[in-house]
Amino acid sequence: MIVLLVAHLVAALIAPVLVARLGRVAFAWLALAPAAAAGWAAIRTPEVLAGAAPTELLTWVPSIGLELAFRLDVLSWLLTLVAGAIGALVLVYCAAYFEEDEPGLGRFAACLVGFAGAMLGLVTSDDLLVLYLFWEATTVLSYLLIGHRPQSRSSRSAATQALVVTTFGGLAMLGGLIVVGQRVGTYRLSEVVATFAAAPIAPGDTLLVTAVVLVLLGAVSKSALVPFHFWLPAAMAAPTPVSAYLHAAAMVKAGIYLVARLAPAFADVPAWRWCVLVLGGATMLLGAYRSLRQHDLKLLLAYGTVSQLGFLVVLTGTGTPDAALAGVALLLAHAMFKACLFLVVGVMDHATSTRDLRELNGLRASMPVLAVTAAVAAASMAGLPPTLGFVAKEAALAAYARADAADLATLAVLVVGSMLTFAYSARFVWGAFWDGPARNAEPTHVHAPGAVLVGVPAVLAAASLLAPLAAGPIDTALLGYAGVFGEPHEHLALWHGLTPALGLSVLTWLVGSALFAGRAGLERAQDRVPEVPAAEDVYRRIMRGLDRVSLEVTGASQRGSLPLTLGAILVVFVALPGGVLVATAPWGELSLRWADSAAQVGVAIVTVIAAVAAVRARRRFRAIYLVGVTGYASAMIFLLFGAPDLALTQVLVETVSVVLFILVLRRLPGRFDDEGSRGARAMRVGFGVAVGAVAAALAVVVPQARTAAPASDGMAELAVDYGGGENIVNVILVDIRAWDTMGELSVVLAAATGVASLVFLHRDNVARADRRVREMRARRRRALGRGHRPADGTDGTGGRTWLVGHEVHGSGRHSTMFEVVTRMIFHVVMTWSLFLLFAGHNNPGGGFAAGLVAGLALVVRYLAGGRVELRSAMPVAPRTLLGLGLFLSAGNALASMIASGDPLQTWIFDVPVPLIGKVHVVTSLAFDVGVYLVVIGLMLDVLRSLGSSLDRQIEDEEHRRAPSAPQPVGGRP
Amino acid sequence: MSPLALIGPPSATFTPSEVSYLSILPMLIVAGAALIGVLVEAFAPRAARFTAQFAVAMLGLLAAFAVIAMRAPAMIGVTLSGAVVVDGPALVFQGMVLLMGAAGLALMAERFGGRGPDAFTPSGSSVPGSQAEGLAERLGTTTEVFPLTMFALLGMMLFPASGDLLTMFVALEVLSMPLYVLTALARRRRLLSQEAALKYFLLGSFSSAFFLFGAALLYGYAGSLNLGEIGRAVGTVSGRGGLLAAGALLLFVGLLFKVGAVPFHSWTPDVYQGAPTPVTGFMAACTKVAAFGALLRLVYVGLAGSRWDWELVLWIVAGLTMVVGSVLSVSQTDIKRLLAYSSVAHAGFILVGLLAIDRAGIAAVTFYLASYGFATIAAFGIVLLVRARGSEATHISQWAGLGRRAPVLAAGMGLLLMGFAGIPLTSGFTAKFAVFAAAVAHAGAAGVVLTVIGVLSSAVTAYVYFRIVVLMFFSEPGGAPVDVLRPSAGGATAIGVGLLTTVVLGVFPAPLLALAASASQFLW
Repeated sequence: MIVLLVAHLVAALIAPVLVARLGRVAFAWLALAPAAAAGWAAIRTPEVLAGAAPTELLTWVPSIGLELAFRLDVLSWLLTLVAGAIGALVLVYCAAYFEEDEPGLGRFAACLVGFAGAMLGLVTSDDLLVLYLFWEATTVLSYLLIGHRPQSRSSRSAATQALVVTTFGGLAMLGGLIVVGQRVGTYRLSEVVATFAAAPIAPGDTLLVTAVVLVLLGAVSKSALVPFHFWLPAAMAAPTPVSAYLHAAAMVKAGIYLVARLAPAFADVPAWRWCVLVLGGATMLLGAYRSLRQHDLKLLLAYGTVSQLGFLVVLTGTGTPDAALAGVALLLAHAMFKACLFLVVGVMDHATSTRDLRELNGLRASMPVLAVTAAVAAASMAGLPPTLGFVAKEAALAAYARADAADLATLAVLVVGSMLTFAYSARFVWGAFWDGPARNAEPTHVHAPGAVLVGVPAVLAAASLLAPLAAGPIDTALLGYAGVFGEPHEHLALWHGLTPALGLSVLTWLVGSALFAGRAGLERAQDRVPEVPAAEDVYRRIMRGLDRVSLEVTGASQRGSLPLTLGAILVVFVALPGGVLVATAPWGELSLRWADSAAQVGVAIVTVIAAVAAVRARRRFRAIYLVGVTGYASAMIFLLFGAPDLALTQVLVETVSVVLFILVLRRLPGRFDDEGSRGARAMRVGFGVAVGAVAAALAVVVPQARTAAPASDGMAELAVDYGGGENIVNVILVDIRAWDTMGELSVVLAAATGVASLVFLHRDNVARADRRVREMRARRRRALGRGHRPADGTDGTGGRTWLVGHEVHGSGRHSTMFEVVTRMIFHVVMTWSLFLLFAGHNNPGGGFAAGLVAGLALVVRYLAGGRVELRSAMPVAPRTLLGLGLFLSAGNALASMIASGDPLQTWIFDVPVPLIGKVHVVTSLAFDVGVYLVVIGLMLDVLRSLGSSLDRQIEDEEHRRAPSAPQPVGGRP
Repeated sequence: MSPLALIGPPSATFTPSEVSYLSILPMLIVAGAALIGVLVEAFAPRAARFTAQFAVAMLGLLAAFAVIAMRAPAMIGVTLSGAVVVDGPALVFQGMVLLMGAAGLALMAERFGGRGPDAFTPSGSSVPGSQAEGLAERLGTTTEVFPLTMFALLGMMLFPASGDLLTMFVALEVLSMPLYVLTALARRRRLLSQEAALKYFLLGSFSSAFFLFGAALLYGYAGSLNLGEIGRAVGTVSGRGGLLAAGALLLFVGLLFKVGAVPFHSWTPDVYQGAPTPVTGFMAACTKVAAFGALLRLVYVGLAGSRWDWELVLWIVAGLTMVVGSVLSVSQTDIKRLLAYSSVAHAGFILVGLLAIDRAGIAAVTFYLASYGFATIAAFGIVLLVRARGSEATHISQWAGLGRRAPVLAAGMGLLLMGFAGIPLTSGFTAKFAVFAAAVAHAGAAGVVLTVIGVLSSAVTAYVYFRIVVLMFFSEPGGAPVDVLRPSAGGATAIGVGLLTTVVLGVFPAPLLALAASASQFLW
């Protein structure tokens, strides 16, 4: 079997070359591949019928149970024969059907042969996954075959429709197969069937029942059952040989095959039974009913196929020996007569260029062989003796004639369906070959079809006619399959005697004839019946709905809005950890103290008021100040808890952030621009409160869970013994956790460099800034050389002006008062920062706080005098400070190592200094100085980039906006 | 060990951790290459930079991969005091990250044989349209993308090998930061690119913060950040379940954000669209691999014992991710956004495999990532080649009739899309099958439900992909002419590898499946 599959693959691969070389005759050569498959199956017949199913096994992906296992039992044997023989005939037919210059014929040939191979693989594979693989292969190849003429829009949409529907079913089936396979523990088809046949599924096993229904969904969609029946008639856009092969013998039979294959395992599951009977019955009736009103012969046959597929599913899915026997017999009969009829339509289309039965006239005379062929095939379809169709239908009617109510209902459906089938079969033959409605028109012009085109359908028709002669052997052969259900009551035969089934058959012929005779009235009646919403519309609506839902959800949730996205994340935060909090309700064990003193309550109230006011503020500046207030309030709380160092740092950080905020906010409008609707704002408030509440709740609950001793235990002693300082916060920074501080310094350095490199994009800018710094330094040196009193007072830093900054400040912006105060406090503040730096080891302070204080002093200078003033106050490049700071810190570590200590170890000296006494010196002071310098450098950097650079941008813009008005520079009003 | 001992007298009890240099050698090589890249950027003459950068980065990746390929068994072990755990899954994920990184790098270096500019702006920080930008434009391309990519790769290698939550967080940041920057560097449509980067950065920082918060809560629960310790504590510590569940969920926020799972997915389309296309491909493949590697370790090593606490949430997330990703991809008109949503759906499928909580799940997730990663890089590589008036033709309507204009390219894209759809004989099928089978076998009823949701979502995504195939092959070309650039050898290799893996992993998946299964044992 594997060799045959490879042969198909090779044939498919060389098909384009062959077609290019030989033209359409290549099809005849390609027919060898499916013919070989059929021939091989025929040779194996004795072995198969003896019950010894030949198997082949090639390990492929053992870890996921994917094995190339093939097995040829009776069912596979039958389908191999059918698919192979009809495939070969269709390919031979193709050789005569297509024009030499048909575009894309090579690809078409490849797909058709490939399809034959996929079909062979599908019916012989004994591995569920390999079966699925071939299943999808038939889907994709049929898509390419249906869409053979991609220029036509209908062809395109039909192909897509078929693809979407069958892929959907296929994937659903895959889900079911996985569940089944995992449950049984193997994906070997024969073992799975054997397992479930031996131990039927318990009705309560919902998972498995779901899986079975999913598998059935695949079969239903593939075999075009209600509600997926619509893709099959639409797929008639394909070239006729494709319709003959795919829609009669092969692809749609894949679903039937699967049902037949799994029926021994699942037929007892009620869900399976109901699906099969209801969907199959409905499909049979609906297809036949629709078929009665088609004018396009191909569509008539397509709906007929739908109807027959419903019939087949009912028979093969029922799970009784009689029904199964009838099912496989009908499968065989249907393949013959339906392929034949499609090919006949192809010939007519070829010969007359139309398929409309209202236009065709008098073909009986011009194409007599074809007419006989069609009549025989149609007789088989209608179930008239002595055709195989009759034998199968007899068996089918007999199978349901002797049991319970459900069976009788099924029987009624089958009988009605057969009546309709008879009627449309008659309509087909009559419309195609006898006089059409255009009774008086001229006979349709015909150019004679070739012998191959007529011969191939004739062979199939002959087979339909001759097969019943071998009813006995066929019965024996098919029993190899149907026998697993038990011993059937009836066997296949042309004549059983005067049975009830025969009576029902006669009844169907009579009523069918009546329906045909009254076809005009029937058509009118059908027109009057209001159109039920066609499944195709439902499909379209679902697809449109999918589009629409997708669009709307995209529009609603994917507007690219940051608040929306953030909102989603926050909702999750509130819902999940918040939900856990509520669920575990840990508050019971909490012991909370509300307040230690009235002062704490007061500070808390201030914080709350500031927070609420900040949310309500519509001006940015106000909001920033109010947020600042909450920060200062927490500093107060720290202070009240006796942590002056923390409070100091908090105050300084808060101040710096407010200042930086304001520097940036200069560039934004004063008010928040998105007022938003009331509801939106309320929602935002809700979000904020909820997130805050969850975070606060976590903050309250989490520390309560502490069982381990805090890491800070013992640090107070260590700080004095090893760090030589009493300010534990500072000692932690410069000694105990000095490595962390070092890392942070590096990060600060990198961040400052990053900010600077963003602002000073180019070397030019950096060079310009450096030049300005150098100039400023030179100017100061000059000024110092003149003893602080420049004679003219224009280029100095002191003298007649308090600050140099005013020279470039706009006249409206500077304030003498501010300049005076700045001048007076700057040095005081700097001194204080030095004090903090040196005192920090034992008292509140330290390098970080001191650096912030110094930075604030610079901020004041900048605010009072602008960027020139900033340069004058600190005429060094920030990078120098940053580098020096890091060097000091790292050098401290190195120096300690050189002195044979550990890196960053603190050495304590008490140095006697005359007059002052003993001075307590710790080496970590150098480290602290490094911190100090880095912080100042960072502040300077930030001021230069967010302050000075923005200033220049603003000035540039103002300049551009009012080029005529000269900038007021210098002079005081 | 008492807290006092932890911080005790400096030299007495401090023992430096054992470092197995072989175990971390690949990471050291990548880090070294990244640092050399920085030096090249600073000191090499402008003309030589591109070649030097590309060579350094590519050699670094290949050398690191060679180490893993040749010495993998000897590398396995816990090192750096448990901060880094090099075990089977870690090595497999590192290997995948390295190879996909190399493919991504090849696309980033794509300059169409000198006939076209690369995908990156020469001056990322200049204001779009400003004078400064023009100035930079004249100076030529910038090459900082290479060291940035290498740093990101370093983080991605560390991420699945993190033995504790802090290392994991560091890795998360190391891989994220360069990606934020890379996102902002698109040559065309720079405002879109910068907006995407800003969004990515803000949301990414937020979710990182959640991760850190979760790590703190788990520390509070278990008294350790080590994943193995946390895993052991799950069975022994009682009475602090709230901390465990809340902490686990917060950690998931951080990681699920990185993999782009619903409801943390909304950044994906914006970022995928805004980022330079090669970066998108790199990010889609490598970030996903690394983040799933970390998620696997977190779930399997640290939190498996407490699965009852969070399983339901992840089931819902996985189901939603598949459904939302596939349904939203239906209405997309931009190919990059479409691939973004498809990546969301894929994240859902992978989550299904992960939730098997079994070694089969690890193997399935590994296989899925391998098949998806290479294919997605190739897909974005193809997007890079389709141009209209010099910039990428990302609107789907521009792809109409591409099959006639560039049959090979369109066929390649078709193949990749079939792979994404999970058509048999492509890697996508085997991958989907592996995750679903693992879920059905080991996750009980939830696994079956998720599998059913999964196959139905697959059907929806298949519809989307087929539509593009139909558009490429069966539609008339639209109005504006579309050019297809010819890739250079590197880019062609990256795309070729994606196509090849799609076919080879589809037809012969056994070796990789076997490798993934044999390397599915976590150490801790």
